[in-house]
Amino acid sequence: MKLQKALSYSPRADFIVEVIQMVSGLLLVLFLWTHMLFVASILIGSNAFNGLSLFMEKNYLLPAAIVFLVLVGGAHIGAVIRRIPSRWAEQKIVWKHAKLIHHADTWSWLFQSVTGAAILALAIIHIAVVTYGGIDVIYSSGRIKHGFLVFYAVLLLLAEYHASVGLYRIFVKWGWVKRHKLHWVLGVISVLTVGIGATVLWIFFTMGVHA
Amino acid sequence: MSRYDSFVTDVLVIGAGLAGERAAVEAATQGLNVILLSLVPPRRSHSSAAQGGMQAALGNSAMGKGDSPDVHFADTVKGSDWGCDQDVARLFVETAPIAVREMAHWGVPWTRVTKDEHVYDGKVIHEDPENAGLITARNFGGTAKWRTCYTSDGAGHTLLYTLDSMVLRLGITVHDRVEALSLIHDSERCYGAVARCLRTGELRAYTAKTTVIATGGYGRLYGASTNAIINEGSGLSLALDTGVVPLGNMEAVQFHPTGLVPSWILITEGARGDGGYLLDKNLHRFMPDYEPAKKELASRDVVSRRIMQHIRAGYGVESPYGDHVWLDIRHLGAEHINTNLREIATICKNFRGIDPVKDLIPVRPTQHYGMGGVRTNIDGQAYGLKNLFALGEAACWDLHGFNRLGGNSLAETVVAGKIIGEQIAKFTAEASLDVKSSLVEEHLHRQMDRVTRLRESRDGTEYVYDLRREMEQILSHHVGIFRSEDSLQDAVNQLSDLHERAQRLGLRGGGHGGDPELDAALRLPGMIRVAYCIAKGALARKESRGSHFREDFPHRDDANWLNRTLAYWPEGADEPELRYEPVKITESPPGDRGYGEATRGPDSAKP
Amino acid sequence: MIERELTFRIMRYNPDEPEKKPHLQEFHLTEEPGMSLFVVLNKLREEQDPTLRFDFVCRASICGSCGMLVNGRPTLACKTLTKDLPDVTTLLPLPVFKLLGDLSVDTGVWFRDMSFRTESWVHTDETFDPDAPEKRMDNAVALEIYEAERCIECGCCIGGCATANIKPDFIGAAGVNRVARFMVDPRDKRTEREYFEVVGNEDGVFGCIGLMACDDNCPVGVPLRDQLAYVRRKMASAGWRYQKV
Repeated sequence: MKLQKALSYSPRADFIVEVIQMVSGLLLVLFLWTHMLFVASILIGSNAFNGLSLFMEKNYLLPAAIVFLVLVGGAHIGAVIRRIPSRWAEQKIVWKHAKLIHHADTWSWLFQSVTGAAILALAIIHIAVVTYGGIDVIYSSGRIKHGFLVFYAVLLLLAEYHASVGLYRIFVKWGWVKRHKLHWVLGVISVLTVGIGATVLWIFFTMGVHA
Repeated sequence: MSRYDSFVTDVLVIGAGLAGERAAVEAATQGLNVILLSLVPPRRSHSSAAQGGMQAALGNSAMGKGDSPDVHFADTVKGSDWGCDQDVARLFVETAPIAVREMAHWGVPWTRVTKDEHVYDGKVIHEDPENAGLITARNFGGTAKWRTCYTSDGAGHTLLYTLDSMVLRLGITVHDRVEALSLIHDSERCYGAVARCLRTGELRAYTAKTTVIATGGYGRLYGASTNAIINEGSGLSLALDTGVVPLGNMEAVQFHPTGLVPSWILITEGARGDGGYLLDKNLHRFMPDYEPAKKELASRDVVSRRIMQHIRAGYGVESPYGDHVWLDIRHLGAEHINTNLREIATICKNFRGIDPVKDLIPVRPTQHYGMGGVRTNIDGQAYGLKNLFALGEAACWDLHGFNRLGGNSLAETVVAGKIIGEQIAKFTAEASLDVKSSLVEEHLHRQMDRVTRLRESRDGTEYVYDLRREMEQILSHHVGIFRSEDSLQDAVNQLSDLHERAQRLGLRGGGHGGDPELDAALRLPGMIRVAYCIAKGALARKESRGSHFREDFPHRDDANWLNRTLAYWPEGADEPELRYEPVKITESPPGDRGYGEATRGPDSAKP
Repeated sequence: MIERELTFRIMRYNPDEPEKKPHLQEFHLTEEPGMSLFVVLNKLREEQDPTLRFDFVCRASICGSCGMLVNGRPTLACKTLTKDLPDVTTLLPLPVFKLLGDLSVDTGVWFRDMSFRTESWVHTDETFDPDAPEKRMDNAVALEIYEAERCIECGCCIGGCATANIKPDFIGAAGVNRVARFMVDPRDKRTEREYFEVVGNEDGVFGCIGLMACDDNCPVGVPLRDQLAYVRRKMASAGWRYQKV
């Protein structure tokens, strides 16, 4: 052992970071799914959507969600950043490697880090817009009509991809389920989530058109 | 090229397979410094390929009940056709059970006796529940009891990995990708070896109080061999080239009946044991014609002889890799093949792209093991040169005589390693190293000179791979399963010519660094000399004994040939010189083996 | 059978000539029935270019010497048959390991280092008694040990691992599997805590990001995903209970 390692020796550190990454990831997935369910209230009707939105505002659930996202998202980013090849040389190696070995799961990891970075940027914009713009059927449909349709469609796909691959990775690593079965289950969940999201977007979009 | 690295140690072990590592572990445990040299990373040694197991009379399994070292001794001596040293055999069988248990203590996950009943050959076997959890054994040819201890299908692999873990634990120095080129000696005493780093091509001098040869077999002298490609008899030529150390019984070469064509990977005896047939080019099952009683399940040497006889009669299947016969296990059914014979199915699939459930397996008798090697006494000390030891397949300790039993080779590596390792430790503790640097330099410069001459093609432009192929063909064609005066004389003449040509090798490539052509060119002349010893020994031995079968002398001749061949290659000579020594008979006088009826000759089929 | 003309694009690199950049060299030869890459490479060396470097030992997928990238996939050359290959095949040495020349890499040194770091031997204070019968072991346990011990150290799992490609100290699936082998062995007296200090970190099992190229590419079918998950769970429980002494 070298001195610098001996001085800062903490055998549990890596384990704790690994746990933080997993737990924060799982919480974010839960958040995403809850978020999608809430948004899906539009499927029942405008009143349901607005009612839910009002309820959340009254009970300070929106700021709570933002605090949650900053904390948990921050922890997640902090934990995963150690995995992402930070140096240019390493980046070159992993991309070359993925191209070389023709291995689907290796590609999915690269996409995972790319989508993660993209989600971070898009989510910040989304939160800012929602915070300043407010949540209401008319505002939301208006936003989607005027330029945000593509933005949300992209965010939806990225978030679902990232969440699904992340979940897959956790289950694979801890070995609780068979890999091909996992593929199937997560595939179904992804299709459902994207389906719901797309329908919601479509409804808002058409509402915006009629408004 | 005057710079070289040099290393000094107590014990220098050349070869890091099971035998070498076991001896090294013994010496290191007793406080000696040991350096292990290996052509390859130790865990890649050919020992790892032994799938069958090792014989030791534990008698734990139901079918091994009543087994003892005495029964093991009788099997071994009979198997050797009374060619072995009976003191060695006795020592070996007594030590084998201890060696097996010791390997278990170090970590080998031997397969254990279970309480489940199992079916063998239609018979239900009930294990003694008292013995559950003890080391079990499987059936092997030529043994009276089930005695072969094993680990699923990877006995050699687990033995080697466990032994290597002990090498790690003891912190023994291992230099891998290093090849010894010559022994440093003054014709009286051995002081170490000149070696070449196969990574960089640089030469090194290793000096040691004791030098140990444990380089394994020489199967690759034959074109077709079940052996790994590193088994080129390099340790044998190291010893032979001293001019004073003899090789014992080099004419005793074992052939296995079923090597897979063309990779010559072993197809285990289990295929025939479970009911497989051998078919010729007309898909005719020919073994019953030759051996009406035992058919495909006659002893290894007999089946090999019959296959070759049938091929010679024109019934072989032609292929770009030479004529062969078919092994047919299709009638055993998919379920049986994919469970009980899974190994065979995997090998066929991986290496021939065929499925034995539907396809015929192309097989031919293939060189498998060399009973001969560096002749040593019972302590492992080489004849003719002090401070030199040898063990394992590289040695002629003389446990196997003229035919080795299956399961005795793996056993020999760790048992001899244990016994001889102890002798090495004892010997080395009292030895000192006083070597003249001029002697070291002399040997080193001789090798440097060889390298330079090869690189510059100073002596000629013979191509190493051409000569090598010729050597392989000479041995395969003339010194194979059937041997006779004219053919052997032919081989000796051709090898003499080849040896002459091998002095005129030149490289086609640059020969820089760890160049494979240079490796091969440095090795080949020694290989040809070893081949020469095999051929000349076979020509001289005018009898049939064990695996050595002379068509012109089809009987064992104890009156004239109950002896051991010692092949020397005196310095400057252009052929080996043969001497003989008597075989020591203590407990078991020569008699009938009780099997191998066909040893009476191919054209004297029994009435 | 129609004879095919096969093309092999083989990486050439000689560490003695660093001025020559690694490059692909094309070779051509005629396919033969039952031909494997073992036969191909030896033919090329003996008939076309005697300086071509590669490693084989057992040529029967037992010793693990001939791991390389065959059209990008890490596998053993000896068990790769030409009939399963396209007309043009690219052969590259395994990444991660030190390149010795052309297709030859120094897997031996890497595995030896890993074995030292994971202390790959049975840790026990018991001494061997030559007169006593062997200690009993349930055959199921023996089989479990053998399942992990089957690894042939070919390095395909390491060469195919993205993490191992960028983190030189990562012990990879082979290393974690090695630890699993001793964890299931009752003869090894190491505690969970001792194992945790060796592999409960980023260079050990928590460095694995779950891409499973190891599991997909293992040429002898060691269940690497199961072994990785087994050690991860064990180490998580050890980490959970870990207390400073």
